[in-house]
Amino acid sequence: MNYVIEARGLTKRYKRTIAVDNIDLQIPEGRIVGLIGPNGAGKTSALKAILGLATYDGELSVLGKSPAKDRAALMEDVCFIADVAVLPRWIRVWQLIELTGNIHPKFSREKCLQYLSTTKVTLDHRVKQLSKVMVAQLHLAIVMAIDVKLLVLDEPTLGLDILYRKQFYTNLLNDYFDEQRTIVITTHQVEEVEHILSDLVFIQDGRIALNCSMEDVQERYIELICTPEYAGSARQLQPLHERELFGRHIFLFKNANREQLRELGELHTPSVADLFVATMTGGAS
Amino acid sequence: MNRLMALVKREFWENKGAFRTTPLVIGGIFLAAMLMFLITFNHFDNEFQSLKELLRFIAQSDVALRDKILYEVNLSMSVIFSMVLAFVVFFYLLGSLYDDRKDRSILFWKSLPASDTLTIGSKLLSAMFLAPLVFWVIYVLTHIVIMLLFSVVIMVLGENPWTLVLSLGSPFKAWSLVLLSYFAQSFWALPLYGWLMLVSAFAPRIPLLFAILPPVVLGVLELWFDFLKTFTLSDNLFGLIGHWFANSPLIMSADSHGDEFGVSLGAPLTSDFDHQVTVANMFDRLFSSDMLINLVIAAIFLAGTLWLRRRATES
Repeated sequence: MNYVIEARGLTKRYKRTIAVDNIDLQIPEGRIVGLIGPNGAGKTSALKAILGLATYDGELSVLGKSPAKDRAALMEDVCFIADVAVLPRWIRVWQLIELTGNIHPKFSREKCLQYLSTTKVTLDHRVKQLSKVMVAQLHLAIVMAIDVKLLVLDEPTLGLDILYRKQFYTNLLNDYFDEQRTIVITTHQVEEVEHILSDLVFIQDGRIALNCSMEDVQERYIELICTPEYAGSARQLQPLHERELFGRHIFLFKNANREQLRELGELHTPSVADLFVATMTGGAS
Repeated sequence: MNRLMALVKREFWENKGAFRTTPLVIGGIFLAAMLMFLITFNHFDNEFQSLKELLRFIAQSDVALRDKILYEVNLSMSVIFSMVLAFVVFFYLLGSLYDDRKDRSILFWKSLPASDTLTIGSKLLSAMFLAPLVFWVIYVLTHIVIMLLFSVVIMVLGENPWTLVLSLGSPFKAWSLVLLSYFAQSFWALPLYGWLMLVSAFAPRIPLLFAILPPVVLGVLELWFDFLKTFTLSDNLFGLIGHWFANSPLIMSADSHGDEFGVSLGAPLTSDFDHQVTVANMFDRLFSSDMLINLVIAAIFLAGTLWLRRRATES
């Protein structure tokens, strides 16, 4: 198996806190991985280490390179959008395209212009004249025109409206993703990415709380919705998590006997958001 | 190499106002001043009744003296460009590694496959060569335009512009000396450039304060401690900076060479070097032991800059 990211004992310490605590992580090629965790869980710290933007302890290899030593070389095969609105505000669109083309060996000007032609962004615009959505479209057009092996998106749609957020992920999936590429996404808006993810990694307090593929999620976890009279028997089957909604009880089970549960109520595949809440408050792993 | 050139180009794009508009404005002011002089000349209360009379007088004056005066005027015209250039480069470097940290665009720059060394190199090269070159080109253009305008006026008033001014003053020699002095100064000023980049990479806010305060505090403390000992100019930080400044290979001030008056290299306050404007004197500074110390200090500052830039996205 070819791993795009391989971390062993990855640790990031700040003066007083440990942001990433001894993480082991392997991300194979051709996956779309959601790195999900509450604020301050260490997602961004882990990504910064992976991108060579911060120092770290432990072993880390990205596409066979050490991010701490070879950031510049690594960036030929890795792209990232770290949050919206980090494009330099003074630059004009044509300058940005020319510059990226001159620095990035794998940038295709034609592709970039093609993506931009579907937007209202013109070559003569300065970044500071563009709306937030247009800046995000521009950045995505640039990134999608670069033929890299790993794309890292850190809250790529933060502060954008729902129409654009949907379109962002559609473009990414239809026009960009293929078997040779890997995408790592962190986001708060779990619902929007769950149907495009192939793998889930939950991070809590600097540690990995859950790491499995979406198929495994469907296989391992099951959600039971039942009326209050069955709630007692459901509780005896050791659910990971319980909540109440409109007078009905919703239980989350791991590796449960489905035949047994079916007698108590309706069964569903849990949403990533529900799994996330259960993991963060209980311990589903 | 392509990447380096692309990054230098980016510096030019970002700093077009400072690098190009500023010298254009100075050139414009020179032209405006000249036009005002020509228009209002007759109203001045002076010994010549008219411009024609003045030109007559100039035409009859000693050719060698006229040649020398024109040469000195040409060189001194560069001084205003040089002073403004120094300010432009100062503030450019002070913001060079600070602005993108402040607006977070550093995250975009770091997503490009260009090393931090290359980035710092491109900024230093822009300060050392790009800005001076643009200023120099505009200085030369300003001089040419002024000469052409003046020639037209001279012709209209019935004199020969070629013998009067155009053939005199060795403009090509003056221009070359100015360009050479700009580049010599770029090397001489490396410790300052290194310091400004270090501050730019370090300052959490207001880089100007971080650039000026430490040397001032250090210098004042030093003065205070040394006060009761032998107080000489060169023994403390201020003195060293003063010497460094006075010895610059930049054409920047008036001086009397013997009994003649003219421009000089640096400020003729010290006798460590000859201050007369010659190529030999510029090279004398560049191959001195002082320059070696300059390079060592610059290397330390730049190494620190690189160290900081590598860690600039932590937090």
